[in-house]
Amino acid sequence: MKKLKLLALTFIAASVTFTSCNDDFVNTEPLSEISQSSVWSDAALADAFVTEIYAGFNVGGFEEQSLSSLTDETMFTHPGRGITTITEGRSNPEDIGWVSINLRWDRMYSRIRATNLALQNLANPQFPNTNNIVERLQGEAKFLRAYYYHQLARYYGGVPLIDRAYELGEADYLAPRNTWAETVNFIVKDLDEAATLLDGKNMASGRASKAAALALKSRILTYAASDLHDIPTAKGKSATISSATNPELIGYVSGSRTDRWEKAKAASKVVVDLNSGFLLNLSEPATYEQGTTNYMNLSLARNGGRTELLMARYFTNAKLENGGRIGLYNGPNGYNNWAGNTPIQLLVDDYEMMDGTKFDWNNPVHAADPYANRDPRFDASIMHEGTPWKVRSNANLPKDPASQIQTGRYEVVNASGQKVTHFGLDTRNSSIEDWNGSYTGYYIRKFTDPNPAIVDQNTWQEIPWPILRYTEAVFNYAEACIALGQDAEARTWLNKIRFRSGMPAITESGSALVNRFRNEKRVEMFYEEQRYHDARRWMIAPTTLGRKANGIQIVGTLKPSKSVSVYKYSKENYSYTYTPFEIDPGKENRSWDDKLYFLPISRAEQNRNDKLVQNPGYTK
Amino acid sequence: MENTNPLASPFARKCLLFLAFFMIGALGAFAQVSTVKGKIADEQGQGIPGVNILVKATTTGTTTDADGNFSLNVANGNATLIISSIGYVSQEIALNGRSNLDVKLATDTKSLSEVVVVGYGTQKKETITGSVVSVKGDELVKSPAVNLANSLAGRLPGVSVVNRSGEPGADGATIRIRGANTLGNNSALIVIDGIPNRTGGLDRINPADIESISVLKDAAAAIYGSRAANGVILITTKRGKTGKPSLSYSFNQGFANPTVLPNTADAAQYTSMLNDLDIYGLPVAEWAAANQAYKTTGSYTRPNGITRKAPYSPQDISLYRDGSDPWGHPNTDWYDATLKKDSPQSRHNVQLTGGTEAVRYLASLGYQNQDGYYVNSATGYKQYDLRINLDATINKYVKVNLGMLGRQENRAYPTKSANTIFRMLQRGKPQEPAYWPDGRPGPDIENGENPVVITTDLSGYDKNVRNYVQTNGSIEIKIPGVDGLKFTGTGAIDNESINSKFWNIPWTLYQRGSGFEADGTTPKLVASVRGPAEPQLRLSNSNRLNVLLGGVFAYDKTFGSHTINLLAGTNRETISGENFNAFRRFFISPALDQLFAGGDLQKDNGGGAFNSARINYFGRVGYNYKEKYLAEFLWRYDGSDIFPKATRYGFFPGIMMGWVVSEEGFWKNNVPAVNFLKVRGSIGQLGNDQIDTYQYLSTYGFRSYIIGGNETKTLFEARIPNPNITWEVATNSNLGLEGQLFNGKVFFELDVFANRRTNILWFKNASVPESTGLSLPRQNIGEVKNKGWEFNIGYRNQIKDFKYNFSVNGGYAQNKIVFWDEAPGAPEWQRSTGKPINTYVTYKYDGVFKDQSEIDANKLDYSAIVKALRPGDMKYQDFNGDGKITPDDRVRLDNTNLPLFQGGVNLGASYKNFDLTVLFQGAAGAKQYISAGESGNIGNYLQEIADNRWTIDNPSSVHPRIANRSDQYFSGGNDYWLRSTDYIRLKNLELGYSVPSTIISKVGLSAFRLYFNGLNLATFTKMTSFDPEADNSLGRYYPQTKIINFGLTATF
Repeated sequence: MKKLKLLALTFIAASVTFTSCNDDFVNTEPLSEISQSSVWSDAALADAFVTEIYAGFNVGGFEEQSLSSLTDETMFTHPGRGITTITEGRSNPEDIGWVSINLRWDRMYSRIRATNLALQNLANPQFPNTNNIVERLQGEAKFLRAYYYHQLARYYGGVPLIDRAYELGEADYLAPRNTWAETVNFIVKDLDEAATLLDGKNMASGRASKAAALALKSRILTYAASDLHDIPTAKGKSATISSATNPELIGYVSGSRTDRWEKAKAASKVVVDLNSGFLLNLSEPATYEQGTTNYMNLSLARNGGRTELLMARYFTNAKLENGGRIGLYNGPNGYNNWAGNTPIQLLVDDYEMMDGTKFDWNNPVHAADPYANRDPRFDASIMHEGTPWKVRSNANLPKDPASQIQTGRYEVVNASGQKVTHFGLDTRNSSIEDWNGSYTGYYIRKFTDPNPAIVDQNTWQEIPWPILRYTEAVFNYAEACIALGQDAEARTWLNKIRFRSGMPAITESGSALVNRFRNEKRVEMFYEEQRYHDARRWMIAPTTLGRKANGIQIVGTLKPSKSVSVYKYSKENYSYTYTPFEIDPGKENRSWDDKLYFLPISRAEQNRNDKLVQNPGYTK
Repeated sequence: MENTNPLASPFARKCLLFLAFFMIGALGAFAQVSTVKGKIADEQGQGIPGVNILVKATTTGTTTDADGNFSLNVANGNATLIISSIGYVSQEIALNGRSNLDVKLATDTKSLSEVVVVGYGTQKKETITGSVVSVKGDELVKSPAVNLANSLAGRLPGVSVVNRSGEPGADGATIRIRGANTLGNNSALIVIDGIPNRTGGLDRINPADIESISVLKDAAAAIYGSRAANGVILITTKRGKTGKPSLSYSFNQGFANPTVLPNTADAAQYTSMLNDLDIYGLPVAEWAAANQAYKTTGSYTRPNGITRKAPYSPQDISLYRDGSDPWGHPNTDWYDATLKKDSPQSRHNVQLTGGTEAVRYLASLGYQNQDGYYVNSATGYKQYDLRINLDATINKYVKVNLGMLGRQENRAYPTKSANTIFRMLQRGKPQEPAYWPDGRPGPDIENGENPVVITTDLSGYDKNVRNYVQTNGSIEIKIPGVDGLKFTGTGAIDNESINSKFWNIPWTLYQRGSGFEADGTTPKLVASVRGPAEPQLRLSNSNRLNVLLGGVFAYDKTFGSHTINLLAGTNRETISGENFNAFRRFFISPALDQLFAGGDLQKDNGGGAFNSARINYFGRVGYNYKEKYLAEFLWRYDGSDIFPKATRYGFFPGIMMGWVVSEEGFWKNNVPAVNFLKVRGSIGQLGNDQIDTYQYLSTYGFRSYIIGGNETKTLFEARIPNPNITWEVATNSNLGLEGQLFNGKVFFELDVFANRRTNILWFKNASVPESTGLSLPRQNIGEVKNKGWEFNIGYRNQIKDFKYNFSVNGGYAQNKIVFWDEAPGAPEWQRSTGKPINTYVTYKYDGVFKDQSEIDANKLDYSAIVKALRPGDMKYQDFNGDGKITPDDRVRLDNTNLPLFQGGVNLGASYKNFDLTVLFQGAAGAKQYISAGESGNIGNYLQEIADNRWTIDNPSSVHPRIANRSDQYFSGGNDYWLRSTDYIRLKNLELGYSVPSTIISKVGLSAFRLYFNGLNLATFTKMTSFDPEADNSLGRYYPQTKIINFGLTATF
């Protein structure tokens, strides 16, 4: 009997465990992900998939390292980020230097794959096409594919054009580079289709619209028409490009430049005709104060300035992203910020005087007081000695109750009545976080929210990054007009831009107009990722980006009989001297090399794909 | 009301009573003494010296003299003597009134006859055919390490243990069995009381609960199937012993200090280095003049007329040096200011064991409390644990085992991580005050981070509480009618819950203001609020439940000379878990740290869940003939939800053979000195499935993006699915030799192994271009080989009362990547294929350009890495000889930051009531970068860099010029900065004294032992600034601990 019980017990215990032979429970499902088939049979999920592709914009130009520091706009303060690899012309396929996540080859192609995946699945949608959502999503996907290809094109030239989603295990993944012409045509085709698909659609902010598609088309066609991409012209200006084995990869080897400018002009005119510009209807210059306000509203996208944004990357404090930290990245060390990208003297000098004349160090009036009577956009864009700024923190306030930017060194009188040196709070000899001080003596003001409640070191701001803005299309239009000899039309539109900011009209023509145009764009679109491309496609990089970076040394000497114990900017108490100097070569030793017209394709990618032809000037 | 009279506490009274008994006991006298004399000899009649003779149930005893003779006073002529000596079979002899006793002891050829835990069972050491090493819990309790993982180093040949951090609650170790075998996850499977992958792992197990730890290094692990390829660590907890209840209490009080703290420059040296940096920004031609000017007047006028001021004038530097101006010119050692000496840690343990043949019990209650290194430390670790193991024999056929563990782990940290804190300590500028002379905290180094403040609870806290409940039970049924057959059913449930609370509040620091207080001499300080804009709270919670059910049939039987062991079983395991978190900010005050009190703006909640499951079948067939010829076959058929249905199941077999040569007649007759010798070999296939889940599914994951001014949910393609994915296959083979000489006085064990891992789950991203846009899944493509050897050799002996033992062990493993889809194109000398995993690629350092003339004489083109060379720059080897220094001149080395060799030397000795254990442990073959990454304007320099550096006054051909925040080409990426971390350290030492039982028995104690022990007491290495086990090149981590500890164990 007992034995029987034991056998029964064994049987029960064994069956409990061995009945688990049915292994269905091993087929677990992921609880934090959604299956592919669900995504493409549900409009809301498909929408979410397309929306994610925008995230390839990353934080736009509000990264800690800025493209501007690869140009004659700014220099980057902190070492070890690969900036000087590029500015000193040392880039090579193994060590390219700093390449923003917004344009990296792998990132762009990964987003392009997502657009291809979306377009494939949306071709035969498995959900009801309520409110034409299919067309909307297709339009957005086409815009995004064009955008990411345009990123590749303007940094690398022609690239492999992939218009389908690869699968795992395909026999051949190797695609050669398409020509420059094919790449531009591909982008333009996508944009034309996007514009059609998005026509009449009311798009939420942050999404692509018809206007965005048209503005991007204006940009790519303007680039396509430029010197750098006209191989006969480019060869004449650069031995490196002249020696390119496959010039068709980086520009047009045949065809009419005039046609290209006409196309660019037409594409830009369509955008200009949208009439969504901000205060581009003035018939005479705004006042200094109004000009400053207008420019700040424009760059901060507020008080009407937002109408300019045809495509932007927005930020909200509900999701704290690094794009809200630009005040920390670039702000002065005397405010406990990091002073990453700081304007160089070359940029400062290019802001005109209020009356439209050039600033000149050889003019003793200019040299004695270099920040007076300048283009209103100067004060709206750049902080310098004496600029009133946010109230300094409790701890720093006693050192500067006036809360003005201090970028010099000054005589002050100490408790025992001796004259001693006070190093400005926003310098590299500051008593506050000196290692973050500006090397140049300037800080960027543009794009930093001036609201004093936003303490940049620990508060995020919500200023959007302009990806495509109306004013750029106006510049594109003007540029095409100049190229086609229509100087008057170009001047009309340039002057609209100038009036808005309080600057007098331009009257020049011909090559003088070209120079005014270029300076106007440099000043108006400072820190908007234009200069890097403009200096290249105009092929003026050797004489602009190739210059040594420089800064300003400011010394404030107490005037006779004056005594100051806590420094404050004052022309009454101090005589100031301003001396420009070149940045120490041990810090950054800028020099241009024509290979820098294009980024190299990384050695790793060439190793993976031997069909890729390297850009001129780089060894494999 | 609290009573302040110390004698009023029950504990104090007990102590007093104890002391009283102790005195009485010592004065007590014996009655009725008779003497027993005799000789103890071996089988040949030769007297054996040093044999222990003990009167049973007393502590009365003696040892034999050089000729084997002894004389002993016994209280009772009918007492029983226990006669024992290493290498001989012990005997118990009742005197029955005899006063003369001659005894012959038989040689114990089975003196290794310990039982070792193996997969799903135990085996006698001498019949084991796999490569298995083990250590007893008794050894592990000798280490004062709070984390069990750190007690394993040096004790288990072939098991490398590297401790990367000493932070309380996060002081685990990287454990590798036979080094690295795969490109991915190299972690061993941990099995606790037969249950694999238990929640909480091995780190926090109370060492007092451990009976033994076994490590399966070769095919012996195959019975664990697709998780066994990296080896298996089996932990067995103690169980109750038959007898009257025995209660033991142990108490440990330890004091911890960092093993190594980096030395950094003082204020005078650092500020003069900053002056040097300022000079190095000038053209080289001006260096000498500027240097001269900065050192004399502190002001230098350049040829172009611009005047530069030295950042620190000569007067400043001299004030920093002489310390006469603590307000204006402090000289702070930030490590000294922030860290205290001797951070206490304590551990209490109460263990109760006993039982009858029917029911045996063991209950163990533990408590430990560990403080951090910081002064007023917010960091600390506390643990409470209770383990109960019950074994019941229901009847002749049925046995039941039950086990239960409850453990709470309390981790407390400040709101800033140890990495941040030690980053700021390293950066800490010596010319800035940690505290002002009036005691208020000084300014931050950056981000409000002043180490003396952010190490305390002034910035809030980060608390983490983990609760574990683990139960397991089994029922063992002997099947009636079939002798030797039994069934064991097992069930185990593990529950883990983790709660964390991060309360982040603003704190106050003081900066120098302008002017003075009313007294006219005390400088005014300004308070500044730093840290978050307002109090913020983040709560999170996660729960996890593991359930395992299993059943095993086992049949063990000996037929004459033939013994067979059969086993077959199955396990099903499921794991499920979920978590959520909540965030609030805009608290109006730091007074209340509860969720509801937070503001409603920007609140954030999240959560998720996961589940996984596996099922498997396993078995073993063992056979031996007279314990002379041994053979074993083991297998597992394993299914895991990591893989899709079609490739889910794998069969993992292992075969092991052994030959006990010493059992052969010819051996016994010819080589009697070698009384045990076994040759064994094994080969097996094992699997590794430790990768991300769902690599075979096409699924989309969630993210978010800002649309229409709102954060909007988005979806991304999580991966390109690989429908063919399956486990990695390890083919591991092993050859071993073990033996004993001279009746067990000398023992040795040698192993050589060759592991080959194929189907390694890696990415084909070296051959699939990025232009495809594919985010590749893991595919079964890689292959790695790993070879090595291990040894353990020891000697033990006894000279009268002095017993001692000595052993040396070590393990060496070197792997090599055979294939991992490396694209062609890199120079031969940089290729990773054919080299070990994770090796360094670096420029070869070739000295320093001492002066301009050396630069002028230089023929190499450095333009690819630096525009213009300057004195104090580093020379690189032109490895490919093309006359240019380019990235192609970087060379792949053979080393990684994991050692190739690890070993230990164990010494043990006891004399009468004293015992001593010493463990030296060492490692070799690892290299580690050190970095001056955050030195310069941004932070201080290591003393070794400050002392050695190239300067204008004292140019060096060996050490480079200092850089500012690593801004020179030579600041990293070359082997000047790559340092050998070979070391030998006194890992563990314990000296104990057992109070004679004649004394303690009077107070009802059966044993009372006092001891001192220590961890990492001394280290011998060339690595000066950081601990040789560190893997953070910047020293941004909580250093390893050196512990001295005092303890006692009392058994009632």
